Amino acid sequence: MFNLRDKGAEIWENQGRIGRIVIAVGAIAIVAALPFMGGTFLNTPVADYESVLVYPIAMFVLMAIGLNIVIGKSGLLDLGYVAFFAIGAYTMGLLGTKTDLNTWEILPIGIAMAMFSGIILGVPALKLRGDYLAIITLGFGEIVRIVALNLGALGRSEGIQGIPTPPGIFGIEYAFDSHRIYYWTLLILILLAIWMVRRLSARRAGRAWESIRQDEDAAELLGVPTFKYKVWAFVLGASVGGAAGVLYASKTLFIAPDNFTLQISILILACVVFGGMGNIWGVILGAVILGYLPDRIRFLSEARLLVFGLVLVIMMNLRPDGILPRKKREKAIVKKDAS
Amino acid sequence: MNKSLIELKNVTMKFGGVTALSDVTFDVKEKEILGLIGPNGAGKTTVFNVITGVYQITSGEIIFDGKSLAGVKRYKITKRGIARTFQNIRLWGDMTALENVMTAADTHKKSGLVSGLFGFPISRREEKRDKARAQELLDFIGIGEYSDRLAKNLPYGVQRRLEIARAMGAEPKLLLLDEPAAGFNPAEKVELAATIRKIRDAGYTVLLIEHDMSLVMKVSDRVVVLDFGQKIADDSPRNVQDDKRVIEAYLGVPEDAS
Ligand SMILES: Nc1ncnc2c1ncn2[C@@H]1O[C@H](COP(=O)(O)OP(=O)(O)OP(=O)(O)O)[C@@H](O)[C@H]1O
Ligand SMILES: [Mg+2]
Repeated sequence: MFNLRDKGAEIWENQGRIGRIVIAVGAIAIVAALPFMGGTFLNTPVADYESVLVYPIAMFVLMAIGLNIVIGKSGLLDLGYVAFFAIGAYTMGLLGTKTDLNTWEILPIGIAMAMFSGIILGVPALKLRGDYLAIITLGFGEIVRIVALNLGALGRSEGIQGIPTPPGIFGIEYAFDSHRIYYWTLLILILLAIWMVRRLSARRAGRAWESIRQDEDAAELLGVPTFKYKVWAFVLGASVGGAAGVLYASKTLFIAPDNFTLQISILILACVVFGGMGNIWGVILGAVILGYLPDRIRFLSEARLLVFGLVLVIMMNLRPDGILPRKKREKAIVKKDAS
Repeated sequence: MNKSLIELKNVTMKFGGVTALSDVTFDVKEKEILGLIGPNGAGKTTVFNVITGVYQITSGEIIFDGKSLAGVKRYKITKRGIARTFQNIRLWGDMTALENVMTAADTHKKSGLVSGLFGFPISRREEKRDKARAQELLDFIGIGEYSDRLAKNLPYGVQRRLEIARAMGAEPKLLLLDEPAAGFNPAEKVELAATIRKIRDAGYTVLLIEHDMSLVMKVSDRVVVLDFGQKIADDSPRNVQDDKRVIEAYLGVPEDAS
């Protein structure tokens, strides 16, 4: 079957340095210009197109890239990813309303908090495998939400209100309704996350994750410190989720436990699986489609969830490995087996 | 005589009611090729599993390079200098041959995730060095031309050889080969025997499990025979072939071992 991923990789690899820069800059420019395409067929009929670009689309993309490190790269089934998103968001909510710190100062704190909880969860949970890990992470996601629901300091079911928007930087103001500014900010975070994942994938960490995903025991027996790299995968995934959470809180200005349900974990997982586990471009595409589609077909009203589910089922049957699967192309075609 | 690189002292391994190894004592000397043979279920693979830390032995002691391996984590045992192949091929199929070897070679890297992320010079240097070394190893084993192919797409014989190259990637002092010639035709076996000798000449110590008698007898300096978890012989290939207990254990197999 025609493999879009391999075709794309081939074009990219055949480019010189200049060619690659042109392609990268061109692609970023097109993506950055998306908020101006609201008048076209891209427009979402009911929901505000530009706000849909920020949430769910860009936010989903960011989180899917983070979750992909855990699930796609390392093969660890994490069903509680929303917890890190929530921890980032509540860090922003709490510090934003109770202290003088602004969003940019809270961002690294939120990331650190998420990473720290990644360690707290990962160290005991990653000793377990498969289904057990899935159940523990599922529980963790729920625990975080329930703690937020019961802790007075976190506003219980009321949540936290009046979270400040980010202060302007470089003369750019973050007004509550200037969606495209948030979109571009998220885009920068997304580009950073892509850079991080691509960088790590090509080196020792990527190989360690890949070997763990394929045969963890063989990896351990050939010298891969599997536990350490699994925790790293968890912590890096958490950092991306935490960053998304901080931005989310600083954009919606109001957060409540209801924003951080299991459903988000499942949706992000769906983005990863639907797009193509382990392949960052597939995962991004999956998140864009699953973030965008429900709003684009909002005119179908009640039927839209049915259509959405149908699309998922049909796609997963046609392409079980996702739209852009991981399948690696073999560069050199070598001599057939001599024997 | 060289000194021992690894010593198994009165090693017993029980799985519930099954005694897979019973009071087994033997050693492997430096730069030696030691053949480990025995009928099916004799406990040969279990020897590898207890050496590499897959199972904790029920009693006894394993000394490697002067130090006990008791309680040492599996990846640290590899780092100390023991690497193995698997009887049932267990390559990482979605990685290329080269990446398979490089992953094992990462064992001894000083640079980790953070220096890789930020492209510190040490990470680049080690990456470049290990890539070259991995390619050399593939060439050494005779499968250099397959370096960019995914392991799962390689022909069976190449996969078996890649298992060896991958284990060597971890720079072991002791190389454990579990039936590396399984499924090979006679010509391939001859070739493999030469490779194993070449590996030893390059400075490795080899512990070789093999069912093919003529192969074992040809390459081994010494042979240890297991039967029902017990050591029944430990001698030169010549003497082992004539040993009454060994012949009994094998019932006729030695005929084609000439
Ligand atoms: N994890 C385990 N649990 C229970 N029994 C085991 C386990 N591993 C091995 N055994 C038993 O230990 C005995 C020795 O097995 P082992 O795999 O070491 O034999 P082997 O000499 O490698 O045989 P083969 O030539 O068939 O590979 C067998 O009876 C086997 O069933
Ligand atoms: Mg065996």
